[in-house]
Amino acid sequence: MLGKIVVVGASAAGCRLALAAHSVGQDVTLVDEHPQAMKDMSFDAPWFYGAGLPSALLNDNSIAQALLEGSPELVECLEAGVDIRVSTILWGAFRNGPNCVNVGRPRVGLVTRDGNEILEHDSLIIATGVRDFVPSFKGWELPGVFGGKAGIALLDLYQVFEGRKVVVLGTSELALRFIRSALSRGVEIVAVIEAGDEVAAGIEAAEWLSQQTIPVHLGHVLQEAKGSVAVTGARCASLDGSSTFDLDCDSIAVAIATLPNIELPAAMGCKMQYDPNVASWVPEINAQGETSLENVFWAANDRAVDALLERINGAEPDAPPGPPPAASISTLDYIKAWISALHQSGDDAVTLCQCESVSRGEFCGIAPPAYLGKELRNQQTPVNQSDSSDAPRINQDFMKRMTRVSMGHCQGKRCRDEAVVALSLRFGCDVEAIRPASYRFPLRPIDLGLIADDDESDEIRLNWQMWPYETRQD
Amino acid sequence: MKNFDIIVVGAGILGLATAYQAQKAGAKVLVLDAGATAYEASSRATGYLSLRGETPAESPLAQEAEKLWDSLDDELGYPTEWTQKGRIWAALDERELDELKSLYGTFQKTDIPFEFLDGDAMRKLIPCLSPNCLGGIWTSRSGHANPQRTSQAFAWAFNDLGGEIREYTPVLELLAEGGKVKGVRTPQGELHCDKLALCAAAHNSLLLAPLGIHFPLAPVRLEALVTTPMPPLFEQAFIGNGLSIRQTKRGNLHMNGGPYEWVDLEIGKEPAKPNTQIVRNILRRAIETMPVLKGAQFLRSWAGIVDMAPDQMTTIHRFESPAGLVTAACSGHGFGMAPAVGIAVSQLLMNRETAMPVGQLSLDRFKNVAPDWRVRRNWQAGRYNS
Ligand SMILES: Cc1cc2nc3c(=O)[nH]c(=O)nc-3n(C[C@H](O)[C@H](O)[C@H](O)COP(=O)(O)OP(=O)(O)OC[C@H]3O[C@@H](n4cnc5c(N)ncnc54)[C@H](O)[C@@H]3O)c2cc1C
Repeated sequence: MLGKIVVVGASAAGCRLALAAHSVGQDVTLVDEHPQAMKDMSFDAPWFYGAGLPSALLNDNSIAQALLEGSPELVECLEAGVDIRVSTILWGAFRNGPNCVNVGRPRVGLVTRDGNEILEHDSLIIATGVRDFVPSFKGWELPGVFGGKAGIALLDLYQVFEGRKVVVLGTSELALRFIRSALSRGVEIVAVIEAGDEVAAGIEAAEWLSQQTIPVHLGHVLQEAKGSVAVTGARCASLDGSSTFDLDCDSIAVAIATLPNIELPAAMGCKMQYDPNVASWVPEINAQGETSLENVFWAANDRAVDALLERINGAEPDAPPGPPPAASISTLDYIKAWISALHQSGDDAVTLCQCESVSRGEFCGIAPPAYLGKELRNQQTPVNQSDSSDAPRINQDFMKRMTRVSMGHCQGKRCRDEAVVALSLRFGCDVEAIRPASYRFPLRPIDLGLIADDDESDEIRLNWQMWPYETRQD
Repeated sequence: MKNFDIIVVGAGILGLATAYQAQKAGAKVLVLDAGATAYEASSRATGYLSLRGETPAESPLAQEAEKLWDSLDDELGYPTEWTQKGRIWAALDERELDELKSLYGTFQKTDIPFEFLDGDAMRKLIPCLSPNCLGGIWTSRSGHANPQRTSQAFAWAFNDLGGEIREYTPVLELLAEGGKVKGVRTPQGELHCDKLALCAAAHNSLLLAPLGIHFPLAPVRLEALVTTPMPPLFEQAFIGNGLSIRQTKRGNLHMNGGPYEWVDLEIGKEPAKPNTQIVRNILRRAIETMPVLKGAQFLRSWAGIVDMAPDQMTTIHRFESPAGLVTAACSGHGFGMAPAVGIAVSQLLMNRETAMPVGQLSLDRFKNVAPDWRVRRNWQAGRYNS
């Protein structure tokens, strides 16, 4: 029994699932954080807009309208009467489990621009999609640098893209989608830079790019985004060190890869496994997408969504697992090649963590944060000693606590993935051998005034405890 | 074969402080932990040094710790973020004011200078404090530090002396033979030693039970959270309106308090520590306490497991049998106590006696605690906020 369903993420899959559940008479609520308030967009989650958000985004009505026009599936849900919550962040999910038996019925915390609500339910379907992966380079803080998903949203969804001359990093499908959108809106693609020695999206994509007469620099990397208040150019370097050259541009689209938005299942405590195909830890699921937590589903791929649709339509739970999806090219290898190239051509002084202003070198050297004005007495290594072969070799939480990288207001969304690959490259251990930094609620930073409980019961109020008080009652 | 002079079970701050002191005094020490270094309570604490005015029997030890805190950065060689700016208990309503007045009475049984102040005097100390603050207690003594950095400072300083920490190596059993400690059993086999320090927080009870020893400790899950950084607001260790709130050196407001849940543990297993929707109530109280916090953002929450003894005091005990075994646990204020506990435990291990004031803190005080004390106390697993 799925009971009352909450679907998080109004992607095509999320909408399909919500609609299917609604049409068989299930009580379902569909939640999506888009359209985001401009302040939330500036946290670069899930899409990396960078520091140069067009002011047209301040017009809430027009961006809400754009969102609907851009999503026929969402409109369909709306017309069918599904309970839809847009501009709503699901910031936490709470349920009974080990060492926590007083929550009662599962519940999620929702917050809008006006306030917050706790919503009870029985089943949770996580269709949170992907976010941008944007690794560091000199000048990546400048307005004009953005991720592929953010670029496509500005171009197609909100139609407020302000760049005229764009340099694109990466040649994956994501990059190609961005380029097509940009060209169709009359935006010039100055050049495409690719660290590898072929176009990642394949031969046809390479041919298409050459038909468009877009210069593709294979075996090259971006050394620096140039500009003082915004991007005015890009300095590129060949990986063999033979040449550098400057390109004139006002934008740099970092369209290397996207990564799954795993913060909700991870923070809920779903069992996770590493999947190099998507370069991320992902929930372990059965054929219907059910995670290790009962009635919590992860819409991992079309196959899991189809099976889950059947479950919604009455199929038995726990259908036997089908064949694994065909292995795609490893996103991990592609990301690693890029990070390795960027770290080779840029130096250790490049900022890795924008929120806390920590450089790559300070991070890998476990330097205390600059505001402490102190150093370590002796150099230390993050590599762990253990007899156990299953033991993680490095613990990313430890690196986070000591250096503050990934501890800032973006909650690590910008830097944590690069940080882990950087550790893997420098200390020579597999990404999988690094214990990932934990994800924690809230999934987005939220104004205290919005999230504070405003309907606290007398019971909680009167029984609120502090240790010293209890001592004195005895 | 004796590989180590001392094995310390638990790489929390108590185990690490003990290991550091023992290695410094010349022993060959190995620290074992079921998980990563300081991944449990010791990195999840608020970070206060409590002077234990509420339990005067432990106050002398807390005051020894206080002296050690003042030079801990230099001693260890790694920053702890120790901030010695005093401590405040604020009352936001009449009920709290009455409670603080009686607490003040207990505090006066110690030799620590505490003062009772009115609301205006409190707001002079912490200008952002709510106009509703009616008064409270203040001492210029004590302070707070960063739990993660401090625990790691002990770990690094221990490593610098040649000590070894093995992570992800749970101790499944304490081994004793002929009335003496022999070593421990781990999934990788036995490890032998002359002496054993048991600093596994509430897991102490589970590991001691097979030896026929009753160490009454109840594990309890507490929730904590942190906001985005704010401009400097106050430096004292603040308690009031049911919360502990401190501002970190980075500027984040770090707080904990409120309903807690009693739990059960398994030997060698990392306990689940989920958060609940109660974080919203913590935030509501934070705003009531310091209205300026409305301007901050909720950034991150977590929970931690604390070990509670029936009288909520520190325990440090050296066993006659098995000889060579010492155990310690601090009932939820072990972070501040750790520098002194580390010395006491290492001295008890190496010299059988210590200069630290631990006379009233041995397990002997629990001789008459019934085996089902948790149920009688209403502290059994699943009980919430009682
Ligand atoms: C939210 C919160 C706020 C707090 N605030 C404060 C405060 O302000 N001031 C203060 O003084 N204290 C505070 N405390 C309490 C303080 O954190 C603890 O008292 C202190 O950290 C205890 O240290 P420890 O080394 O005994 O325990 P822990 O840090 O829990 O370490 C015990 C270690 O033993 C290991 N272990 C357990 N079983 C085994 C086994 N079988 N084999 C190997 N290893 C094992 C565990 O993995 C763990 O690492 C707070 C605690 C919490 C949770």
